[in-house]
Amino acid sequence: HAFSPFKDDLSASPQLFTPMSPYDVDLPIQTEDGLFGSQFNQPKELPADFSVDLSFLPDITQDKEQNLSEDGHEMQEKLDGSVSRNEDSGTFVNESSLSCPDASQPSPEESSVCPPLTPMTPMTPVTPASASESSGIVPQLQNIVSTVNLACKLDLKNIALHARNAEYNPKRFAAVIMRIRDPRTTALIFSSGKMVCTGAKSEEQSRLAARKYARVVQKLGFPAKFLDFKIQNMVGSCDVRFPIRLEGLVLTHQQFSSYEPELFPGLIYRMVKPRIVLLIFVSGKVVLTGAKERSEIYEAFENIYPILKGFKKAS
Amino acid sequence: GRCPECGSAALVEDSHYAQQQLVCAACGCVLAEGLLTTTYSDEQHLREVAYSQSTGQKEQLSRCMQRGIRRVQDLCKVLQLPSVFEETAVGYFQRALQHPAFHLVSLEKKELLGGCCVFVTCRQHSWPLTMGTICSLLYAKQELFAGVYLSVQKELGISVPALSLADLVKTHLSSFHLFRRAEDVPAPFVEGEEQVVARTLQVVELASETWLVTGRHPVPIVTAAAFLSWQSLRPAARLACSLARFCEVAGIPLPPPARLRLRELHEILLRMAAQLAWLRVFHLDKKTVVKHLGDLLQHRLVLLRNAFSLQDAEEQHGEAQGEGSAGCPPAAEPGQEEGCSLEGKRQCDSSQRPLLPPCLIHPRKRLRTAALSESDAALTGDEPISDSEIEQYLRGPQELRAFRKAKAWQ
Repeated sequence: HAFSPFKDDLSASPQLFTPMSPYDVDLPIQTEDGLFGSQFNQPKELPADFSVDLSFLPDITQDKEQNLSEDGHEMQEKLDGSVSRNEDSGTFVNESSLSCPDASQPSPEESSVCPPLTPMTPMTPVTPASASESSGIVPQLQNIVSTVNLACKLDLKNIALHARNAEYNPKRFAAVIMRIRDPRTTALIFSSGKMVCTGAKSEEQSRLAARKYARVVQKLGFPAKFLDFKIQNMVGSCDVRFPIRLEGLVLTHQQFSSYEPELFPGLIYRMVKPRIVLLIFVSGKVVLTGAKERSEIYEAFENIYPILKGFKKAS
Repeated sequence: GRCPECGSAALVEDSHYAQQQLVCAACGCVLAEGLLTTTYSDEQHLREVAYSQSTGQKEQLSRCMQRGIRRVQDLCKVLQLPSVFEETAVGYFQRALQHPAFHLVSLEKKELLGGCCVFVTCRQHSWPLTMGTICSLLYAKQELFAGVYLSVQKELGISVPALSLADLVKTHLSSFHLFRRAEDVPAPFVEGEEQVVARTLQVVELASETWLVTGRHPVPIVTAAAFLSWQSLRPAARLACSLARFCEVAGIPLPPPARLRLRELHEILLRMAAQLAWLRVFHLDKKTVVKHLGDLLQHRLVLLRNAFSLQDAEEQHGEAQGEGSAGCPPAAEPGQEEGCSLEGKRQCDSSQRPLLPPCLIHPRKRLRTAALSESDAALTGDEPISDSEIEQYLRGPQELRAFRKAKAWQ
């Protein structure tokens, strides 16, 4: 796949970032007297020479820190080999009808990581920037890619003829490219009845847009349904507002980073938990992609922010 | 064994026409002879049968693998790499070719795969080979190579250390044709390699400290730095020489970004020169500042600190947006600054600028997509969709007729 520098193009196609095999980390957490309620609380300030990336570990207490370097190394070794795919699409409730529950339902995966004890303080809600130690920056969603099955064979020539907003060039691409103004999105409609919807800024927008495309197809005379709507990829971006020494970051986080200035100006950071790919640029702008849920984007950013802060000052 | 005639151990397998013979290289005595013809049962011992006639049952490597390994070995030889590199690269290649991700890729990509393995091996041994070099050896498009390289890194789980700029300087400069007198190299242009390398290393380090290196292609920076260093070693004769001419004489291609890097370096040097007491009397421009490169490099730590306000980068980010308006009055004594650095000792100058990457100093105006509005945020995705909204996207009967007439549909 061609690697195009896409600093400005935030509608990254899903194929560019095939995520690493997920490593399901289920470590027991010891809560420190109810202080750590939210998943987004950061662990305590680490000593400066602590170079292992802890992005895959949830909240952890002082006495566990000693074992972390070994754990981190072990986990990375396992990753280097072939880890059996952990099907995490099962966390998404299967949507087979139009009146299905919406995407904001918390996944069962999240709840398994919660502490078993009832803390003294109530659990803080899973929203970004709510915990006192968080960065205060909220990544903005830029693009949502979703798929849906219209469950009927489609005559693409016919669609392109009768629809104003359709583009069809079979020699170039075997699908109709359709666009609607609100929500401003683009859809790829295939003759098998499968459809890809891109360009929305939120999960709900993506769903609404997909439904509108389905309606257009219905109005054109096809018995289109709306089956298996699924968010396939979410892209977010934000700005940490300070320059970052990418050469330093790739040295200390070599297992997760790929920085090839000959190829691309940004550093590609493949976070393990959550399984998100981050593009980090010298200007401090960060692009996060590969998420199936928006909480993964927020969590990934909260994980990377302290690491980036470590590279803030040049010397 | 030893020759029965002269006792020499120099035995050679040679063929007398089609007959295989074991001959002593010292005296020429024939020790053993092969058969002129072979039988099917002899095939296993003598292997005199054509490849296409053989059963291939002993074959362990596919043709594709054999060809690929040979290619990898050739690349290593052309690049004059140590023999250890060849073994490692071949090992990687074998692993890669057998990996499901690469087993069925096109032959074009398999050739690139070999190049990737050589490249990865070099990087792991800190041998500064650039992708550009490998691509030109493979006659490959850089995008295709990039894709294969990233896949190799991911699928084989190989960690590749970053390219060392210092090593790159040494190798890149060694290919310059400036270090000995030649027909096309004017005498005043010839320079000692060591001096140029030493100074270029310093300039590259300076560029790195001032954010000119991060995120940029390394070769143009090295080219620009080498040019400046070479000029500064004999400014009288070389200031008139342009970057293009320099590359021409040195026998290297001029990468387009090198001009921009040169401009950025000039800007940095001029700011530093403005802080050097004995240089302030001169009105330096980008040509003349090169003459003092030696001095500037020698005192670079102090000059950098004075030339660039090292305020908290976050504050600077906000200030950099409003370019041109300094905000802090020129301070007569250190410690009197209001909006300036908390470290105190800096001279707060209106001509100072923060030490930031160029993309933050000159931000490109870009349309910022607004965050979701209130009404958008309250969207559920299940809103009713009006017929009229959908119908606006459908062609009416008149329009259809006109469209059909106008365009002969394939």
